[in-house]
Amino acid sequence: MIACGHSNDQMSSCVLDEETFCRCCQLFLEHSHSLCDGWSWQLVKGSEEGYLRKVALGNVRIRTSSNPNQITDQYIQGASSDQRQGRTSPFTPHKENDDDHNDEQYYDDDDGAVCCMQDSRSSGVIQYEYHILYSYSYQTPVLYFRASTLEGRSLSLEEVWDGVHPNYRQRLQHGPWDTITQQEHPLLGQSFFVLHPCRTEEFMRPVLQAALEEHRQVNYVVTWLSVVGPVVGLDVPLSYCTKVPAPSHTSPSPLQPPALQTQPD
Amino acid sequence: MADDKDVLRDVWFGRIPTCFTLYQDEVTEREAEPFYLLLPRVSYLTLVTDKVKKHFLKVMKAEDVEEIWFEYEGTPLKWHYPIGLLFDLHASNTSLPWSITVHFKNFPERDLLHCPCNSVIEAHFMSSIKEADALKHKSQVINDMQKKDHKQLWMGLQNDKFDQFWAINRKLMEYPTEEGGFRYIPFRIYLTMSDRPFIQKLFRPISPDGHTHTLGDLLKEVYPVAIASDDEAKRYQVVIHGIEPLLETPLQWLSEHLSHPDNFLHISVIPAPSD
Repeated sequence: MIACGHSNDQMSSCVLDEETFCRCCQLFLEHSHSLCDGWSWQLVKGSEEGYLRKVALGNVRIRTSSNPNQITDQYIQGASSDQRQGRTSPFTPHKENDDDHNDEQYYDDDDGAVCCMQDSRSSGVIQYEYHILYSYSYQTPVLYFRASTLEGRSLSLEEVWDGVHPNYRQRLQHGPWDTITQQEHPLLGQSFFVLHPCRTEEFMRPVLQAALEEHRQVNYVVTWLSVVGPVVGLDVPLSYCTKVPAPSHTSPSPLQPPALQTQPD
Repeated sequence: MADDKDVLRDVWFGRIPTCFTLYQDEVTEREAEPFYLLLPRVSYLTLVTDKVKKHFLKVMKAEDVEEIWFEYEGTPLKWHYPIGLLFDLHASNTSLPWSITVHFKNFPERDLLHCPCNSVIEAHFMSSIKEADALKHKSQVINDMQKKDHKQLWMGLQNDKFDQFWAINRKLMEYPTEEGGFRYIPFRIYLTMSDRPFIQKLFRPISPDGHTHTLGDLLKEVYPVAIASDDEAKRYQVVIHGIEPLLETPLQWLSEHLSHPDNFLHISVIPAPSD
């Protein structure tokens, strides 16, 4: 096939080919289904291409709200607050007006996003949609996302930036291509925010190199997502890193020795 | 070849005569006259329409003005697509001037990217160039350039300076002689009859056995629907910069000469006119 991306120069760089991407996603999904944390595989009409998708609700301080932004324990009821310890989400929960509390229930669902049942006129509840696509140009996964209020108003780039934890904000603003920008979704044609993929190889290389040297297998998508996801409020529970295997290859792969089939527990 | 350089100039200086009309529901203090402008094919709507905006703002109150956006026959026009591509996709076989409707309200959030200032256009343009070089040279050429070279590419486009732009861009069009061409060709095939905005895949200009790939080879591999079989009438036109290149044209040559300033070959596949 003319459009095949397999070439010898892949041996020296840590890039991901499309087939491996799909297999990593498949394994990712199997674990996701066991957690019921909302990921699914979306197919593009009339093609074999697809992407991972997840919708989640979160509470984020948004600009139009006049409320202070403190984290309060009374805010999270029900599910174990222990689960919050394992969370890496940098989004700061938002304190509502006291008036609203009486009518509301809050609970932690398995993926760590705070879900909230309130009437739609309250500000603060945001619906996030995350897509993981394959980029041919950079031969890496790319994270697309968009956010809107329950009333359907799309969040602006400024509001999205407000939701990024200050620790990550500085790193993201470091370079013009190391950043969140608004882009057209290449498969849907709609406006999304994107974490630019051109630096992905840079942070993935040491991880993949170390894994190769230690004869460990790596699921590229899981590793990659655990780095970029938390930056934009996407939680990746620890079990992904321990329970999702790397795809096995029948042909020699630049990422791991072909003979090994270890599945760490 | 002297002829090839002429092609570069012809592409750069292509223009589309356009008539801008204010959307009828916009609130105005007096009647808004249409505004006529020659649009550069290779530039972007929000970069070249300051005069259009000023013209309509003269008859509007500040409180009735939000972010400007453009529409053609009900379809919001994506400013991040080159103007020539928008025209070829939406208005190719219609009479000139191209009639575009101007809006200042009800920005279509889902469909259009925001464009609050020129640095957003610059970021988008440079991002495309970088992506194209990732495909052509594994980003080696663009990364070896200095910031001032990047700036010169943008300034060349912004100020319509062909020589200034190509002084730097020619480096992005080079390749090791022994390779015969770029690593992969940066291209996008835009479809009008699909939800999907475009097709982009990895495609080499030269096959492993040294065979030069043509435009026809690309389409056969990536979008075979576009090519009519011998016994049926042609259903689609394959358009680049307003022309239909021969399918036998080498893809490498197209990439070097008919790319947009963002270094991508933007190819439109549109229904052939039925006469």
